[in-house]
Amino acid sequence: MTAYHRGLLHVLAWVCLASSLPASAEHEYHVMVVPQSPVVEIGSNFTATCMLINTSEATADDLYWISSRSVIPKEQYTKISGSAVNVTITITRDTPQWLLCKCRKPSSPYITIHEGKFVHGILLRKGYHPEKPENLSCVAIQEKDLISPNITCVWEPGIYRSQDLKTKYTLCVTLPGETQKVEAKQNNSAQITFQIFPNHVELDFWVEAENMLGKAESEHLIAEADWFVKTNPPSDVKAISEKQFPTSLLIKWIRPIAKEYVTLMYQIRYRSNRSPSWRNVPPVDIAKEIESFRLQELQPDTVYVIQVRCKSAREGYGYWSSWSANATARTPEDIPKSEPDLWRISRNEREVLLVCKDPVLSNGKIRSFNTSVRRGKASSSTTSVNRSDSDGSSSKIVITILGLIDLPKRETVYVEVVAINSVGKSPKARLEIPAHGAAHERSPAEGLKSWSQSGQLWLEWQPPKVTAGGDAVTEYVVEWDDGLQIDWQRERGNTTRTAIRGSLEKFKRYTISVYSLYSGSIGTPVSVEDFLEQGVPSEGPSVKLNGTPGTHEAQLVWKEIPQDKQHGFITNYTIFYSAGTEEHAIPVPNDTYSYPLRSLSSDTKYEAWISASTIRGSVNGTKHSFSTLKYAPGEIEGIVVGVCLGFLFIVLLAVLICIYKRDIIKKNFWPQIPNPGNSSIGTWSPDFPSKADTPKENAPADVSVVEVDLLDRKSVFEEDKACLPLKKDKYLSEEHSSGIGGSSCMSSPRQSVSDSDEGGDSSETTASTVQYSSVVACSGYKGQTPSSLPKTQQPTFFRSESTQPLLDFEENPDIPRQENSRQFGRLPRNPSFRHSPTSEDSSNSADVNQLEMEDRGGMESLSFCPVEEGPQQTIPTEESQSSDWQQGVPVCSYMPQLGGYRPQ
Amino acid sequence: MTNVWFQSFKKVFKECDYDKSVQSACDTVRGRNGHVKIMYFQQSMEPVTTLLSLLLVMAVDSTRSVTLCRNQQCGNFLQQTLKLTRLIHKESVDLIKIYKTTQGDMSELFCKISINNVPDPNISGLDPSERIVSIYSHIQAFLPHFKRVYEQQTDLQLPTNTLMTELTRVSNRSSSLAAMVNCIYQSLFPNMPVPEPAGGPTSLPPSQNIFQQKVYGCVVLKRYKEFLSNAARELRTVKTQVCKKRTQMNVLS
Repeated sequence: MTAYHRGLLHVLAWVCLASSLPASAEHEYHVMVVPQSPVVEIGSNFTATCMLINTSEATADDLYWISSRSVIPKEQYTKISGSAVNVTITITRDTPQWLLCKCRKPSSPYITIHEGKFVHGILLRKGYHPEKPENLSCVAIQEKDLISPNITCVWEPGIYRSQDLKTKYTLCVTLPGETQKVEAKQNNSAQITFQIFPNHVELDFWVEAENMLGKAESEHLIAEADWFVKTNPPSDVKAISEKQFPTSLLIKWIRPIAKEYVTLMYQIRYRSNRSPSWRNVPPVDIAKEIESFRLQELQPDTVYVIQVRCKSAREGYGYWSSWSANATARTPEDIPKSEPDLWRISRNEREVLLVCKDPVLSNGKIRSFNTSVRRGKASSSTTSVNRSDSDGSSSKIVITILGLIDLPKRETVYVEVVAINSVGKSPKARLEIPAHGAAHERSPAEGLKSWSQSGQLWLEWQPPKVTAGGDAVTEYVVEWDDGLQIDWQRERGNTTRTAIRGSLEKFKRYTISVYSLYSGSIGTPVSVEDFLEQGVPSEGPSVKLNGTPGTHEAQLVWKEIPQDKQHGFITNYTIFYSAGTEEHAIPVPNDTYSYPLRSLSSDTKYEAWISASTIRGSVNGTKHSFSTLKYAPGEIEGIVVGVCLGFLFIVLLAVLICIYKRDIIKKNFWPQIPNPGNSSIGTWSPDFPSKADTPKENAPADVSVVEVDLLDRKSVFEEDKACLPLKKDKYLSEEHSSGIGGSSCMSSPRQSVSDSDEGGDSSETTASTVQYSSVVACSGYKGQTPSSLPKTQQPTFFRSESTQPLLDFEENPDIPRQENSRQFGRLPRNPSFRHSPTSEDSSNSADVNQLEMEDRGGMESLSFCPVEEGPQQTIPTEESQSSDWQQGVPVCSYMPQLGGYRPQ
Repeated sequence: MTNVWFQSFKKVFKECDYDKSVQSACDTVRGRNGHVKIMYFQQSMEPVTTLLSLLLVMAVDSTRSVTLCRNQQCGNFLQQTLKLTRLIHKESVDLIKIYKTTQGDMSELFCKISINNVPDPNISGLDPSERIVSIYSHIQAFLPHFKRVYEQQTDLQLPTNTLMTELTRVSNRSSSLAAMVNCIYQSLFPNMPVPEPAGGPTSLPPSQNIFQQKVYGCVVLKRYKEFLSNAARELRTVKTQVCKKRTQMNVLS
């Protein structure tokens, strides 16, 4: 639409509005904007007219335009009359939707009051002109025996930029006699339906895109109806095998549609059932409008899968149909065209196993192998191995064992094998197994190395050094062995690099050997071990202890992981052990299978395990727990022996000390006690006559001083057994003797015995080893308390003249006097003493009685016996009156009371 | 105008075939003796609508004439026409087989009886232009007979019968063939008048009984098949004669 037309329309609209509005002006606006609800293209200029209607209150100068609440500058206005003004704005994406025209005249009260009648607005609908649809294409598929009358067309609608404006797409087609248009339900496709498909009629397709801003038309697609045809694939495709043509198959099919509708051309592809990839028959070999074809140059006894498809035979016309269903046929068998792959597997130096694979060009099922073996110059022996029907039925290459042959010592073995199928025999395969030792004369290939790449195991080697006059390598045999199966492949003599074509498995260790063959004679191999792909071992080594653990060490041992579970080369082992939270790891080389753990804690439970590592990772073995010993073997015995020895040493030391220091010991423990016999006792009481022979009636108590030697302890004990309870009571009484007036009464709480008031006996014996001397005051009458003495009786005091030092206790001034006074109440009668003649202290004593005692008894202990006690006490027991004592010693004045406590 | 009329006829068929809602309306316009009155427009449309439809048909007709005569290479155009002729011939052969199978007993007898009032299958004329005109005229002459056979068989067959479908198919293709022959004529002989059916409007047979209808139908189909065979041969000849000559002229010029 040109600007002229647009302007003309504006004027027309203006005139129409102006003529139609007066009738209703009183109730309507005084301002009007044209055009109403315009559709404007983004990027274009838009002009609107605002005019005053039925009012003289304002003029065009009072009109102004507002866009999005902002006043449009006056420069964009064009005054076209006294009551109308135009505005021209450029439409952009950001242009507000509303465009308002207002009237402003403050001087007019009418306009001020009726402001609503002096404003008017229009809604701008923005958008773009529709884009031209591109890449129109149409297709009509076959239905039953005819082409469907429905033709589906697709196109690219372009960028849909007009959000506010809907674009309508119409598919149009013209053919002789009619034109059809179909509105598309989608913006990129539509289907048009004819009454019948117009075969051989020229069709003209195009697409119209239309919105409120205009229309765009795609390029026209003009072609004969065949152009759009996509037929069904050929049906009933058959492949026919003909026995006389082992390398050919005849294919037949039925065309999907009558040739009057579509002239067809075909495409044929085929593949063997062992191959996933298709091979296409060259199009130039396939004539048009055929319904059979002979595939040639096929492999005999091979199953082939064939597919056919078709399209319009006219160049560039139509679409290829889908591929037909598979047609499968096996080509007939033919004579084997290549020799079998003969090889040997060494059992030992003397035996080899002959094996072979079917010929590559077996051209049929191999029924049997004829094997001819010749040793040296001997005549050959022929054997035949029949193949069972199941062998070779699968696509996997089958290895046939031909037999085990012995190798003579110095003769080369020549083997020839022929494969036989139902049609004929194959060429001979020859193998020369040199005599034992001869093979080593030929040097092996050098520098064999292997690596894995792209899922294959590659090998590279250098040819063996050829000695002068030596044979050149005619071919190589690459053999790989996983421990369970052996396979091989042949390479040409000039090959130095190849990939193993067999189906290797991942994580399996293969021993790969490269044999050099010299016109069929086998040379020395060279080997390498490798994996197609290494992985993490499937299990770790199982660790255990070698022997029993020590206190601080343990010897771990483990075995090598079985090869089928290694999944790779073991790079190293790592020993882990822990006792609780702290874990220790010790890496060791891969050839280590024992390791001593040291510096362990004693009496601790440890867990140990071994991790085996490959380049792909590690795996832990089973854990083994053990506890270290608390003591090492013999440690306890050592301690016991040591302690015993130490004790023995101490004892010996003590004995030696006793022996060598016996004088000192004796001096300290058994000091020299003066012979009491040499002492003189004075009587302090002036009123009491000093008589040694005090009448018995007047001697209420005796004083006994007993010297007891250690050696006498036993005898004393024996004698005092009956008196022990009593003695104990006496010990507990802690009744002590003490000296009076500077003399002492030597009596320890344990070792001294003194008469007490409670004691019924006037004299008691102590088993103590402490010797003492004391001056004891005894009551007059044993068993009587001093208080019970008659007041008239004068106390008698005796004084010892002994030079023996007083014991501490005896020197204790705190001893109550009352006790002492009690003791003082006792008076010994005619005490007698004996003393050891060895006593030095007593040597200066010239007591005759003492000497007599020494002569008689030789007794070392000092006895202190009361003499002539009371009638109860003076009666000696029979034991006490032993013959010795009776003979050498006067009756002891102080004898043990064997009869216990005697009632008084 | 014959073409326009046939287009309207086709639309009725089309709606009867594809729109079930108007099936009853279609039934009402069918006569008992095979005579069909075109009452669809009269009953269902207002005069104004009719006028607009007329204008539309005129526009379609004018568009078609333009489309028909798009300038094409002589050989391609004739080859296209020849292939369509062969296709219709093939379909007419199939149609005759279907016709025989649908007519019951004595169908072979029906097809052996000869009757008049059916166009002659032979093509007349001395020069190519006349022979092309003859082909065009024959096609136009056969179309009313096809229409009549369709009407008669409508009373004898079920609407879903293959015969009815094939009759419609052959009629439609024949219309396209007529348009293409017309275009060839205008393309090859642009200075000559547009051919019209010779001898005026086609004369259709009067009312017939069922036996006569069956004989009539078979004769029409057989004659049409023969005509198509002759037309194909003639078109091949014209292609050889005219297009070779034109190619030589183009090379010389």
